[in-house]
Amino acid sequence: MASAGNKNINAKLVLLGDVGAGKSSLVLRFVKDQFVEFQESTIGAAFFSQTLAVNDATVKFEIWDTAGQERYHSLAPMYYRGAAAAIIVFDITNQASFERAKKWVQELQAQGNPNMVMALAGNKADLLDARKVSAEEAEQYAQENSLFFMETSAKTATNVKDIFYEIAKRLPRVQPAENPTGMVLPNGPAATAVNSSCCA
Amino acid sequence: MSMEASELQDLSDDADYAASQLQGSASMMRCDSEKRSLSSEHEGAELIYLKDNVAIHPTQFASERISGRLKLTKQDSVLFLSWIPYKGQTSNAKLSEKVSLSFLDRSLYTITAVPFTEVRSIRRHTPALGWQYVIVVLSSGLAFPPLYFYNGGVREFLAIVKQHVFLARSAEDANVFLVNDFQSPLQRTLSSLELPSSLPVASGQSTYPSDGGSSNDNNQGRTSAGVDNRVSRFSQYGPRKHKNHDPTRDLSIHLLEKFSLVTKFARETTTQLFSENNGFGSVDKRWNNQPVHNYDEKLSNIAEEKDHEGPHSYPEKDHLNDEEIPITVDVPADPLEFNKLSLVWGKPRQPPMGSKEFTAFLDSEGRVVESKALRERVFYGGIEHQLRREVWPFLLGYYAYDSTYAEREYLRAVKRMEYATLKQQWQSISPEQAKRFTKYRERKGLIDKDVVRTDRAFEYYEGDDNLNVNSMRDILLTYSFYNFDLGYCQGMSDYLSPILFVMGDESETFWCFVALMERLGPNFNRDQNGMHTQLFALSKLVELLDSPLHNYFKQNDCLNYFFCFRWILIQFKREFEYEKTMQLWEVLWTQYLTEHLHLYVCVAILKRCRSKIMGEQMDFDTLLKFINELSGHIDLDSTVRDAEALCICAGENGAASIPPGTPPSLPLDEGILYPQDDDVL
Repeated sequence: MASAGNKNINAKLVLLGDVGAGKSSLVLRFVKDQFVEFQESTIGAAFFSQTLAVNDATVKFEIWDTAGQERYHSLAPMYYRGAAAAIIVFDITNQASFERAKKWVQELQAQGNPNMVMALAGNKADLLDARKVSAEEAEQYAQENSLFFMETSAKTATNVKDIFYEIAKRLPRVQPAENPTGMVLPNGPAATAVNSSCCA
Repeated sequence: MSMEASELQDLSDDADYAASQLQGSASMMRCDSEKRSLSSEHEGAELIYLKDNVAIHPTQFASERISGRLKLTKQDSVLFLSWIPYKGQTSNAKLSEKVSLSFLDRSLYTITAVPFTEVRSIRRHTPALGWQYVIVVLSSGLAFPPLYFYNGGVREFLAIVKQHVFLARSAEDANVFLVNDFQSPLQRTLSSLELPSSLPVASGQSTYPSDGGSSNDNNQGRTSAGVDNRVSRFSQYGPRKHKNHDPTRDLSIHLLEKFSLVTKFARETTTQLFSENNGFGSVDKRWNNQPVHNYDEKLSNIAEEKDHEGPHSYPEKDHLNDEEIPITVDVPADPLEFNKLSLVWGKPRQPPMGSKEFTAFLDSEGRVVESKALRERVFYGGIEHQLRREVWPFLLGYYAYDSTYAEREYLRAVKRMEYATLKQQWQSISPEQAKRFTKYRERKGLIDKDVVRTDRAFEYYEGDDNLNVNSMRDILLTYSFYNFDLGYCQGMSDYLSPILFVMGDESETFWCFVALMERLGPNFNRDQNGMHTQLFALSKLVELLDSPLHNYFKQNDCLNYFFCFRWILIQFKREFEYEKTMQLWEVLWTQYLTEHLHLYVCVAILKRCRSKIMGEQMDFDTLLKFINELSGHIDLDSTVRDAEALCICAGENGAASIPPGTPPSLPLDEGILYPQDDDVL
């Protein structure tokens, strides 16, 4: 399927993080460019896909959005198993959600795919007045743990496409040849949303 | 070897049941043309009875009726019942799409040569006013739609049946005539399944009534059409004697197979009718290729809207829209021929129960005299919205059915005080105390986060500072103190929202919610045990009711059924619009046919999508996405009816697939209700 001169990469990506940190909202913004003020809680898991054009390749993200509550923790390995990338989301207005994010990082370092590209997203960056976690603190933590960090806002769309784009760039360039799929896109520096789908 | 013989032999071996199902359906298809010629041979059978102007009403409206001819024929000592709609009825009409489809409907109800050995009973309705009709109930428990005798003659019809098969009036209902009803229920089933050689194994005795000679003959002839009875009988049952079986398991499997045969007969006749009629060539093709449900069209539309991946992604999609190409190529046939399930139906949905009707269930002091009758009524029609507030507390178990008006009033007063006390427990926590009470803060935080995003688009909960949202928070927080071990878990607010909307009053809502959680609390257990048990039971039911689909899930690592997690955790709350969810819940809460109708609902939906799931070779990811996207596209009434039919069809074997204590059954062990295997929240 992949034509010569183009790399088409399928990448499984999982979103992890505390209840109400904004995991589903980030996906919804990325995949459908929408925002719902009262996004309902995720029950079980939801699956989305979205394709980005990155320089010389297209990356088709297969995104697993998970339920945040600790009680559903035992289901998480099913979703992060085999994932090429993870976005660990916390809410910058909620210190506990940052602590929870650290736990997810530890778990992925211990259990996840060793080459996994991990991003730390400090979401709700539009709520500056209510900030509880400083950008410096999060940035430092990210550096210590070889993640990259971005502050995002699903509400204003700040940095949402960018964080996925950054992940796409960092994915290993050479992928196993057995599952090339997705469609070839015109090359371009800007991340181009192509295939959108969403689950409730 | 006849198709029938091979089928039975295959089924006689439990271990190979799944494989034989595939094989059986394959041989079915191969023998299609052969069978057609056989069934025309059947037309040479002896005509016993013929009645014109016998009609079926496909809908509740009397104006829509399909008239036809009812026949009894006899071949090789076996009595057969047929009902063929008149062909001429639409021939004058203009052949618009709509008319030809209605012709398709018409033919869907055709009953072709059903042997009386497959009939369990005939119920007659001979009202003083209005039309007489009979309902023919099959051994499987399913029934054909009522056959209306527009020119009268039900009595004559039954008299003639009685001359040829053993017909006994039911002791329970004088209008029900049992066919081949021998002494023990087990033997009755066996006889209708024609397993004479299994009898000694099953019951250790043989007690045919002396006048049952003709019925005995019937038992031997499980011929679909013209197959030599004796030969097939020996070849079928000969080897059986040497095997040791659990007869009850065999029985249920046979029931399912029988059911599938009935529908297959009907389909073949339909095909014949179409091919005889030149005007319906294109319809004929579409029918052969499985009718495309509106439902499926909707689904394929979703797929088209959402997917732009080109030829790689959905190879079957084009086929759905192209009548020329059969879509069944790679998909193993449904052992129950599910798409034709409407041929044989349970009761049609009734209008919701109103206030007057409900009052009739109560005695002068307010007791529900026959709770089962009430539950049956709600099961088949639901409840008018204004009445829900009165009836839900019964269904949920908050009110006892045998309580009086006065007792319920007293209960409400006592419970109101108890609720206030419970609520006081967390309301009295001062900010200083809260600082030192992490668990409380975490719980409250979680509840606060969820109530503001539960059904906020629904009028009752919309807008800033909505008092109902506050009530929801108070109830959930109070519940997390009432049941501190279980606490709060995501999904609970989904259950609470419609209950608060219906009950209005906070204390009443709380106690209804408590009653619901008595059964569904295990869904939220830390160890996920309640969910695992239900998902496991679901896998067993699919194995029983659609083994090709089960095999497909097995081959594709989908046997954990996690794609149905949301369906089960919050009982389809996110799959239907608000009103429909309430309709479904009150049906589930009746526990009328089973405590686990929700699992049959899962099976019904999966079966509706089976050809899409298997045809598009969905893997786990795709399947989960597909299932999540069904939300808002599932038709409730037909799904509930399918679930009912599947539940009846699965019978004892279905019940045996669901381990005791599976939610919403009450827990077996009343000891530790909510095991604490971690210390988080």
